[in-house]
Amino acid sequence: MIARIARLTCLLIAGISRLAMAQALPSEPIALADGRVTVSGDVSAGYACDVSLAHYCGDDLGFFDYTDYEHSALRLFRVDVSAAVRAGAHFTLLGEIRTENLGVLRPYALYLRIRPWTTTNFDIQVGRVPPTFGAFARRTYANDNPLIGYPLAYQYLTTLRPDSLPISTDELLRKRTLGWLVRYSLGDQAFDHGVPLVSAFRWDTGVQVHGGNGVVNATAAVTTGTVSNPLFADDNQGRQFAGRVEVRPLMGMILGTSVARGAFIGQTAVRAALGESSGAEFMQTAWGGDAEYSRDHYLLRAETIVSRWQVPMPAAPPGQAAVQSPLDALSLSLEGRYKLRPGLYAAARYDHLGFSDVTSATATLPWDAPVMRVEIGGGYSIQRNLLLKGSFQHNHRDGGLLLPSVANMIAAQLVFWF
Amino acid sequence: MTRTHRKQRTQRGIIAAARFALAFVSFVALVSSVPGRVTAARPGSIRGRVDVRRPAAPVERRPGVAELGTPAGRDIPNLLRSVVYLESAPRGAFESSEGGRAVMDQRNETFVPHVLAITTGTTVDFPNSDRFYHNVFSLSKIHPFDLGRYAAGSSRPVRFDRAGIVRVFCDIHSHMNAYILVFNHPFFAMTDAEGRYRIDNVPPGTYGVIAWNEGTSSETRPITVPDGGTAELDFTVR
Repeated sequence: MIARIARLTCLLIAGISRLAMAQALPSEPIALADGRVTVSGDVSAGYACDVSLAHYCGDDLGFFDYTDYEHSALRLFRVDVSAAVRAGAHFTLLGEIRTENLGVLRPYALYLRIRPWTTTNFDIQVGRVPPTFGAFARRTYANDNPLIGYPLAYQYLTTLRPDSLPISTDELLRKRTLGWLVRYSLGDQAFDHGVPLVSAFRWDTGVQVHGGNGVVNATAAVTTGTVSNPLFADDNQGRQFAGRVEVRPLMGMILGTSVARGAFIGQTAVRAALGESSGAEFMQTAWGGDAEYSRDHYLLRAETIVSRWQVPMPAAPPGQAAVQSPLDALSLSLEGRYKLRPGLYAAARYDHLGFSDVTSATATLPWDAPVMRVEIGGGYSIQRNLLLKGSFQHNHRDGGLLLPSVANMIAAQLVFWF
Repeated sequence: MTRTHRKQRTQRGIIAAARFALAFVSFVALVSSVPGRVTAARPGSIRGRVDVRRPAAPVERRPGVAELGTPAGRDIPNLLRSVVYLESAPRGAFESSEGGRAVMDQRNETFVPHVLAITTGTTVDFPNSDRFYHNVFSLSKIHPFDLGRYAAGSSRPVRFDRAGIVRVFCDIHSHMNAYILVFNHPFFAMTDAEGRYRIDNVPPGTYGVIAWNEGTSSETRPITVPDGGTAELDFTVR
């Protein structure tokens, strides 16, 4: 499978490069109906090798970059096609379809943007809307990401699942590091992946309002899922309320803060843990702070996220400690980019993801293994809309018995957009 | 007078004649190769009109699905303005020029003007008249540059020393683009709002003339500029 993806990626890179060089691919958005319909595309093809393994170009056996059991953020061929249809001055329909590794085409976004007053910066968006929370979630396109990997908070899979629950802290600790494929005693028994702090791979569904004056901008949303588990159809009765305020005190500086709170655990899992009559809601509450400053040829970004999940506390089996709630996680991400010369830049990112301690019958440990990631790389523009990126990524996980605690990945990615 | 003396006089005469002949040939060559130095020749003009049959569509903003609201409005650049220039300019025209200054503003997410025609050695200033950042750059082969991000009211210069076409973009606003046409001679003109142009001070002679609009060039058209007169040449492009 991996060899097939690698071969496919190489072929696609060669194909895209050749077409782009021949100017056979569009370089600007396609405009139809006098500009009322615009279509754009983002294509990225990447491949990575774990060079810390004994054999050359190994797989990411540490599952540091996986977004589910099959998809690695570093070994990904992704095609996004976005479109905007303007219907007068007040309505715009926006949508995006996406396929990963030539799998099923999925609607990533589909929403109606309503601007009630054309002269006022106030919009209402209804449907599968862009993330309100955080800064990185809205720039996950390969063209916006100076590196190839993602910040840990938006990609690394913790061992928490909204549909499957541990019966004890002992069981929770036994699953540390297995967020890419995990199951618990309660709820859904099938293996599936856990959730990141904030999902960069799915958008939530609901209503969003946005307004501001350029210096201060605010966004609020009511949606179906939560930041770590955005949904199209709800699996509990709770709604998520999210808000973001962004201030631009200086040119080039953006300071943002976000909050979100919504019911995280699905009803089926709650009933499995606490009994059929239980109607309790278990919330995810997240707070984020982010800053960006750019000037001349450099760009600096910092983002921190705190997430707290309430989880059901069923009666633990004898000899095991009961599940402790809430479970907290804290992430920090620092990113920088510097343009060395026209078309060439260097970039680096430091990430840390930590978890609160819980106590089982035998030990007190963070409920999932803390992770640290450093990624250093750069990009070269072959032409304006054709970018070749390369990076080295060092991952370290403090704990976990089954998986390697270190992965050193080298990765390359070709990005084309119009 | 001895035979030796006669022989020396003959040789001196031959050398003097050869020198005169060489000087005469050089003078004739110089005069004939540099029309501007022919005292009798008076420069003329080329004028006409460029009809843009199918104007290029402005580059639209990308759909911006991930944006939280409607992006701010922007100006639409004037894509009807063309550049007309001599393909084969008089040789004297290629002498190095001092170069002046020109301005390409960034205003309402648009480069103003959208097309700039300059001679080599010209320095173009790129002021930022918006309240937010722009990042002017070009990956053109003749002059790649990246000015980085700078504040409103600030300006950064770029000097263009090689002839050719430079496409200019903004790294932050992908719909912003412009052209700078750099010539190593002064025989070019921008069309006005009605598509009219006029190239003055053209030495009399026969030239090839090209009209350019938004990356599309017309075929080279021959024209003869009369001594002190005006030649008319209209184009249809696109």
